[in-house]
Amino acid sequence: MLPVGERINYDCYILFPNHHEGLRLHKELKAVGIKCTIAPPPRAATSFCGISLLVAEDLIEPARQVIDRCGVKIEGIARIPREASTSGGK
Amino acid sequence: MADYRKMWTDLGMDLEKHDLLCEALPGAFGEVFLSQENRPEGMDYFNFVVAEIHGVRPAELVEHKKKGGKVFGTFCVYVPDEVIIAAGAIATGLCGGSQFWVPDGERVLPANTCPLIKASVGARLGRTCPFFRLADVYIGETTCDGKKKAWEILQQEVPVHVMDLPQMKRERDIAAWAGEVRLLMNRVEEVTGNRVTPETLAESIKQINHKRKALARLYNARKSSPVPISGRDALLVSQIAFYDDPARFSAQVNALCDELDERISKGEGVFPSDAPRIMVTGTPMAIPNWKLHHIIETCGAPVVVEETCTGVRYFENFVDESKVDLDGQVQALAERYMRINCACFTPNTGRIDDILRLVKEYKADGVIDCSLQFCTLYSTESHLVQQALKKAGIPVMHLETDYSEQDTGQIRTRVQAFLEMLRK
Repeated sequence: MLPVGERINYDCYILFPNHHEGLRLHKELKAVGIKCTIAPPPRAATSFCGISLLVAEDLIEPARQVIDRCGVKIEGIARIPREASTSGGK
Repeated sequence: MADYRKMWTDLGMDLEKHDLLCEALPGAFGEVFLSQENRPEGMDYFNFVVAEIHGVRPAELVEHKKKGGKVFGTFCVYVPDEVIIAAGAIATGLCGGSQFWVPDGERVLPANTCPLIKASVGARLGRTCPFFRLADVYIGETTCDGKKKAWEILQQEVPVHVMDLPQMKRERDIAAWAGEVRLLMNRVEEVTGNRVTPETLAESIKQINHKRKALARLYNARKSSPVPISGRDALLVSQIAFYDDPARFSAQVNALCDELDERISKGEGVFPSDAPRIMVTGTPMAIPNWKLHHIIETCGAPVVVEETCTGVRYFENFVDESKVDLDGQVQALAERYMRINCACFTPNTGRIDDILRLVKEYKADGVIDCSLQFCTLYSTESHLVQQALKKAGIPVMHLETDYSEQDTGQIRTRVQAFLEMLRK
């Protein structure tokens, strides 16, 4: 349990129907300076293999705008508590 | 998300079991890699390869096979990929770096076999590795007794061509290895139906040398202080070298190195410049074995070089590109590959020389000599390695481990104590 007042940090994983769409968005986000990292999505986000883009919670709205502008196909955005996303839930 | 289930089904994989492996990867990758601060952006490509490790590259191999191409699965840095590529085939590494595959290997192998062999055989028999399913022929070699017997088991599943690696380095041994390279060429020609010509071999020699140069550039960047890339990330790049398309891989490594050069010019690093610099020597670390690097680096010390088969042994020394006929090219290949210093040779003083040289080149403060459990060759050679390092006044620690997490706490304690000593 978190101490009272401590904030949970979340990571956002953008999910794609295929890696082509993921790589396309990766390029678009980099071009406008939005930090993102290619990562295998945590199991809490999807049970499929493949790539996702890891974006910090505070950058997800600007990222959504890029997605809308470029017409990149995504399958959703999973918001996962940071501890669970980088430790496999351990 | 990408759904490769049809491809995996067509390859005869055990999907239910494979799903368990897929489930474990993101958590492990997140813990080891994504938890790092200030990773180079160029690592994104390598993240991509891992995320898609049983998807994109196997799909490329499937396409290659649909066009009549052949795939050769390899286990060892002594197998000259150049010969395979020169016949229009693809060489790929095979699975073998996870505890996940060990129980299936132990069904047919003694428990006191090294985990790399148990995992490799288990990945094949358990039908959970697409690369093992895709390879038309496996290329084995005689680098240890466990492998020699494992080939006989794998041969019941898929044809295995075994290269007889000499165990000494006399002129006659180099000549014998040239003969083995010729035999491999014959086998590759027979399987592919394509001739290896001086032109195609010259081209593949250049291509693989180019890959070696890219890796040498990456390792050269690690000589800087502060070190611009973690040992975990560099290890991941080396591991992917065994699977990826060579030209694409080289381009991505060079792009990463451009970024590292920029970091070096700014004095930017991923560890403080006064953190103890560690060299790892010993047995190979096949993907996804990141255990030791993760322990060392989360104890606060960067791994700056690996004297292993997933390190400098893979890329040091180039094949002479000046030869224009097959005899000369085969000899050049034999000479280059026989310069790799594996513990299967006797004597193997070249490895000790390499270790002492690398400590200086990479300004290592200490050496961790790590053998996979039951690897008699490296464990035995450890005595001479430690003796030489101690004589040179270089702190050294020997470890034996496997792929399981059972000894992680114990190893962490030992590494912490070693680093504490280095910091004094």
